[in-house]
Formats: sequence, C-alpha cells, structure tokens
Amino acid sequence: MSVQAPDLNVVDGPAVLAAPAADAVGNWRAAWRRLRRNRAAMIAGAVFIFILFASFPGATLWVHLVAHRGPNVQNLQGVIMSGGRKVPVVSADGTPIGPGFRGEYLLGADANGRDLFVRLLYGGRTSLTVGIASALLCTLLALILGIPAGYYGGIVDRSVSRLLDLIWSFPVYLLAIAISASLIVGGLDIGPIHISSSSLLIPIIVIAVVYIPYIARPIRGEVLALRRREFVEASIAHGAGPVRVMTREILPNVAATTLVLFTLIIANNILTEAALSFLGVGVSVLTPSWGNIIQEGYSTMVTAPWQTLAPGIAIMLTAISLNVLGDGLRDALDPHGRRRGGGR
Amino acid sequence: MSASDVQATVIAPRTQHSAPRWTAVLLASMTAIALASCGGAGGGSKSHTNAGAGTPVNGGTLRAAMVSNPDHLDPALAYSTETWEMLAATNDSLVTFKRASGNAGNEIVPDLATAMPKVTDHGTTYTFHVHPGVKFSPPVNRAVQPSDIKFSIERLFRVNSPGVGFYTDIRGAAEYEKTKRGGISGIVADNRAHTITFHLVQRDGTFLEYLAMPFADAVPVGTPDKDVSTDPRWRIATGPYMFKSYTPQGSITIVRNPNFHQWTPNIPNGHLDEIHVTIGTSPDQAVNEIADGDLDYYFEAVAPDRLAAISKQYPSQVHTYTRNALLYFTLNGRKPPMNNVKVRQAINYAVDRPALVKIFGGQGTPTENLIPSGMTAYKPHHFYPYNLAKAKSLVDASGTKGMAVQVWASSTDPQPEAAQYMASVLNSLGYHATVKTMSEGIYYDTVANEATDPQVSYNEWDEDFPEAEDYVDAQFNGRYITKIGTNDNSNLNVPSLNRQMNKVREMAIGPAREAQWAKLDAEIMKTQAPIVPFMNRDFPKFYSSRLHGLVFNATFYELFPSMWLSK
Repeated sequence: MSVQAPDLNVVDGPAVLAAPAADAVGNWRAAWRRLRRNRAAMIAGAVFIFILFASFPGATLWVHLVAHRGPNVQNLQGVIMSGGRKVPVVSADGTPIGPGFRGEYLLGADANGRDLFVRLLYGGRTSLTVGIASALLCTLLALILGIPAGYYGGIVDRSVSRLLDLIWSFPVYLLAIAISASLIVGGLDIGPIHISSSSLLIPIIVIAVVYIPYIARPIRGEVLALRRREFVEASIAHGAGPVRVMTREILPNVAATTLVLFTLIIANNILTEAALSFLGVGVSVLTPSWGNIIQEGYSTMVTAPWQTLAPGIAIMLTAISLNVLGDGLRDALDPHGRRRGGGR
Repeated sequence: MSASDVQATVIAPRTQHSAPRWTAVLLASMTAIALASCGGAGGGSKSHTNAGAGTPVNGGTLRAAMVSNPDHLDPALAYSTETWEMLAATNDSLVTFKRASGNAGNEIVPDLATAMPKVTDHGTTYTFHVHPGVKFSPPVNRAVQPSDIKFSIERLFRVNSPGVGFYTDIRGAAEYEKTKRGGISGIVADNRAHTITFHLVQRDGTFLEYLAMPFADAVPVGTPDKDVSTDPRWRIATGPYMFKSYTPQGSITIVRNPNFHQWTPNIPNGHLDEIHVTIGTSPDQAVNEIADGDLDYYFEAVAPDRLAAISKQYPSQVHTYTRNALLYFTLNGRKPPMNNVKVRQAINYAVDRPALVKIFGGQGTPTENLIPSGMTAYKPHHFYPYNLAKAKSLVDASGTKGMAVQVWASSTDPQPEAAQYMASVLNSLGYHATVKTMSEGIYYDTVANEATDPQVSYNEWDEDFPEAEDYVDAQFNGRYITKIGTNDNSNLNVPSLNRQMNKVREMAIGPAREAQWAKLDAEIMKTQAPIVPFMNRDFPKFYSSRLHGLVFNATFYELFPSMWLSK
C-alpha cells in the first residue's frame, strides 16, 4: 500500500478554466461533449458508478435477497450447504470456509464467521463514504482558505500560505496517523459537540485536514490570476463587495478546477482510509471498511489470501476508475491545457 | 530438608499475577517435551521433536524472535512469559523451581540458598543460608549478599511491582508499602553470617513458591527505584547468561555471564554462546522464517491458521504443550455497567465458549472455571450454559441496556478477533460496544492500571506457581487490588470471600486445600461472575530443525540453558 503523498498533477497556479460566469453554461456543455468522447473516462465512470451501486443499494439488496446475514453477524458455529453437503462456516480448528459459487459466503468467511462478500460490499460503503465525505469537507475548507488568500493577498495570503506550508511540511500519512491516534481514544470535542472515537466523522475529519493544501494551493493560485481579470474588476467597479465578488464571480470560475481536484482527491482519501484502518487508527474495527478487512485478513494471508485480495482489488478498481475519470474531466474542462500537452 | 518437607510444614498460599505473565503452568501439566530425555511428565506434548535427543553441543547463537517488546527486563517488574523465560537464564532467587519439565519442574530447590530453609515458629519464620560464591555480572562484579536479597524484596514495593501482593504477609511489609521508609522489619539480613530470615505475619502454604518467582531475584543494593530494563549499568545477572543489550522495537542480545561459575546443580550452565532476540516478528512471519531456516525459536505460539499445514510438513519440529493457561474476559466491577452482577452473569450466559475457542484455532478446551483443567484442584462447574434469552432478560432487569461499553485487547492475533466477538455479544445484549486494541508490549500494564480501568478487557493468566491459589486468591482477593499492576483486574473485593481465601491460604498444600479452592472457584463464578473464563489454551510451538534440548518448565516455560544447536 502506498504511503506516498498524492500526486494530483495540478500545478500551483491558474490551470484549468477561467472564463466569465456568463460563458459557464456553454463551457460545461462543451466539456460534457468532450468527456463523452473520451472512452477511457466513460468506462472508468461506469466502473465507479457500479462500485457505488454495489456498495450502497447493492449491499442492502444482497443481504436481504441472497446472503440473509449482515456484515457484522458472527456465525462461528453455523453450518451451510456448499457443493451439496453441509460444511461448517468455521471448522473446529478455526479455519473459515473459503470462496464458492453460492449465495451465502460467496467469498468465504473471516475468522469470526462473518460473510466476507457482505463485508466487502458494506466495507465499500464505509470506504466510499469516508473518501467522498472527506473529499467534500477537504474541498470546502480548501475553498474557504484558498479563495480569500488569492483574492485579498497580503497578510491574508501570507497567513493562509504559511498554514498550508505547515500542514504540507509533514508527511501526509504521518500527520494523519498522529491526529488519528490522538483522537481514537477520547474522540473529538468541538465546543458542545462530542464526536465519539468510533464515529466515522473522525477519519473523515482527519483525512480532510491533511489534504487541504493539495486543493487550497491550486485554487489560491487560480484566484490570484482571476483577481486581475476584467470581469472581476468590472464587478468591483459596479460596487460589489468582496464576499459577492468571491462567491458570484470567482467561485464559478474555479468550479471546474475544484471538480477535477475533488474527483482526484477521492481516490487518495480512499487509499488513506484503507491505510489508516490497516494501521488501526482509521475506521473503528467493528465497522467494516476495505482497510479493516485487509487488516483482519492480514494474519491469514498465507492460508486465505482472498481475504486481503478482495478488498485490495476493490480499492485498486476504485482508485483507478477515479483517477482515469479525473484525468478525463481535466481534459474535458481544459482543452487548451490538453493541447499544450500535445494532445491529439 | 526437602522441598516437600518444607511445604508440608509451611502454610498458606497466595499468588498473583495479572494478565501478562504467562508463565506457566504447572504441574503436571507439562507436557511434553518431555519426550526424549526428560522423561515423563505427563501431559502434553502431542509431538516431539528435536527435543532432547543427541549429545549436546556447546556454542552457537540462537536466533530467536518475539512479537513485540517484552514488558520489562527488570525482575521486579517483569510479568510476562517471555521475560520470565529469559530471566530464568539470567537471574536467581533464594530458591527456584527445578529446571525440569513435568511434575519434576514443580519441585522447589535451593538456588542462591545453600539449602532449603529452616522453618520455625509454626511456619512463620524462614531462615536461609546464602551461598557465598555467587557473583553479580559486570559491571557490579561482586558477591551476592543477604542484604541484596532484602533490598530486592523491598525494592518491589518502591517500584510498584505487580508482584508485591505475594510479599505483603512478611512482617512489616504492609507498613512499608505505605511509607516506603525504614525497610521491612520482617526481613533480617546478616551479611557476616550469610543468612537472611523472613518473619511472616501468618503461616503461608506457598511462601517458598513466592520466593521462587523472578520477583524475588537478587539485584544489587543501589539498583535505582525505577525500571532498569534499558539501563545496562543495573541490568545485572547472576545466572549463566546476562543481557548484553536491549533496543526496544529492535532486539535483545543475551550472552554468557563471565562471572558465572556453577554453584549448584540446580542452575546448570548453558550450551548456547548467545541468544539474539529480534523484536517485532509476527506469528505468521515467524512460521515462514523457521521454515526457511532463518529463525530457530519463537516465543509465541504458532499462528493458528498455519498449525495444520506445518504439522504435516514439519512434524518433528512442532510441539504442542498443555499448560495451565486460562483465557478470559475481565468484567471490571468498578465500572458501570459491569458493577452490576446481573450484567456480569448475563455476559457469561451470552458467550458461546466453543465458538470463542474456534477463534483461537481450536487450540484449547472451553471452560467456565477459574482453575485450569490441568490442575488437580479443578472441579468443573457449568453455571452458565449458552442462553442468549436468559442473558437478555438479566440485562433488562439490570436497567443498563443502551450503555456504552469498550472492550480492550492487545493487537496480537487472535485477540482483536476475540474482542470483536465479545463486542458482538455485548451489542446483541443491547449495549453500544466498541473495541480498543494496542501493542501487546504495553497492553497488560495498561489494563492493570487504575487510571485506565477498562470496562471489559481480554486477559490470559498463566501459572506463577503450581497451586490453585494462583488462579483464585491471586486474582479475586481484594488484597491484590493496587493502583498500578493490579492482579485483581475485575476489582472483586467481597469481604466474605476475602476471608475465606485468607483462611485457605494458611492451609498446608494438599487435597483439603485444593478442595477449598475448587469450592471458592464455584462460589465466585456463581455469585459474582467477575470474569468470563472461556478457554484453557494449548501451546503449539514450531522450532528450527537445528534446535535441540527443549525442556518445557511449567513456570518458566522453555529453558534456554538446556537448548543447544546442531552443527
């Protein structure tokens, strides 16, 4: 599992799309047409949608219609029919049943007699929830920091930039582990709000915080350029205040960049969740997540490799699909950039 | 006077030990290994091996490994099977358990003492003559004095040793525990006469057993009142080996003690020149390394999922020992909702013990008893057959449904899986359970700390000495509750039970006393249910083909000085 900082392939500065808001709708339509012509991106998008479907409604449907056993139901003493004969879910020597073509225990069981395929589906729900929610939170925080920094410049820019430098100065996984480890015992108190240590909000917040610079910096750079554009100065000349300019003029013009970064950061966040959970400082062990399932299967990697391979493959497919989709979005939203790169 | 004679004249018992100590087991249990040369012993090893056959060869470095840092290398604080294994090769006390397997290994024999003690005053006074020719290892390089032994016992109280409970019946010890001043009046050391005398408050049937545990190992006067595990200036040995280096999360190197000259047949010299222990090797990794010939010895049991395969592939290199290990979940009676006996009983009803045994690879037998099945005092009882409906009704009656409960375990497999099982049981009873895991190297110290005080925690108890007191009194007599390193993790402190246990401790070792422990075992579980005992665990081990001379002692586990490597 990689522990490298993510390479979002986005430079620190204006990169993607900068056009007056009036042209925005037309640009989005054009971008969608270009995206549809990108076969790889469309396939990746379809794969990601399939994973989303499997993890959310699919997981529930599978449990109710096929497996009849939830992700946390332990069945150490159970017996099921497999290959026309009764077999224990977990044998007397602790060996769990392996994969087989059957409704129950399609991918076999884990050491606690839980249905691995069901856990994989629900694990996807958890991992995607953490990945997408943390990406949303990260993007929101990055916008809140990056737009004012680029718009105001001066002391505001310097303060925000130093804060981002501070976060960026730590290896991302080390920082995430340190924050997680400090919150995993007592949870998090924000004023009157207490977030339990077993809450999914903990990994969501931790992952969101450590990736803020990876979105805030490009946005800040883009806003720095937009700040001098005629449509912004015209808005100011018409008496618009800073908040209005930032929300009505600047924000729509960084939306495309934000969307691309958001897509790419989801993949990184899912990988980070898996890494933190594998290390025991991510999602609570009682909640199935892809990282947790890998961690649980780690001790039986020699005798039951599918327990780690299955969630590993799921993570790989998700990350690849999101990265290819993100690249496609970038190409679709920034045709000039693609030409500069020597495209078709 | 033989050990058995002494035991017959003495009295009471007690014990201790908390989680970690895995020590082991006793009695007859033994198992195994006995095989070849050690003869008999009953018990347990389901296969033999490279055990004792052949002519021992001196020399070589044993490549050993453990999963995480040992708890402590300081004898006053060490309380895990791993450290007691090593300390049995490096340190000595006045008496010790014979370096043998099987029942022979339960015999108490002189170590630093020249002979078994003279017992007077109706079993309340023990006088030892200390061997004059035993030297501490470098850099101390001087002879062991009786005053060193007195200092070592007193130091236990100053460093909050988990073993202090064994020595509080020495006259003046209770006061010293509070004041830490003036010494323990009931220990009289005479360096000129080379004698040391212990005066007890009351008879204690297992006082010699207490003195045979590593807590009573002699350390030189002047040893700091803090953990000296990483301080080579004070990590002083008397036995055939000494700790040369210890790097946490790295390795431990044990080498021959240059000052060791065998003074008694009870402490034999070793064959190995060096023992190099790598820290941080997982059970799975250990199996691979041993199979590849890169590792000789692993402190932990075989990874459960690998046992069947390696038993077939390397039958001569696998041993399964029967030991008196009790696996259980502690229910902390000081913390809601576990302070309600209905809740504790409900959890006992709700746990399917054979299911839990499967999580441990089926390597053991289900139990509801406090006393392990390998002890002669074991009398099985079945107060808590699996009954989820009854458990739920008890929880309803307790009015505690919906409360949050955290289950603690170490991160060493399969403890996390067992903790998840317990969490699922608690959730099924209507609680909101979470699981917390941490490195085994710090786990047992952490859960035995009043500041941590987990509601539910996984625990294992291995024999400190071969008597049922170790599994009843030592864990459930309120006298063992301490702020740090408590043995009574469930904080059970019922005066009427305490009185009964105190009384039984005064009895001489024998069937009558064992019957009383068995009765208390049943009474404690039936009326208090302070823990959820679920398994007596076997101990399958996997060794390299070049490792020989394996001797499994009930208390010290495998004896390094007996081991040798073929060329």
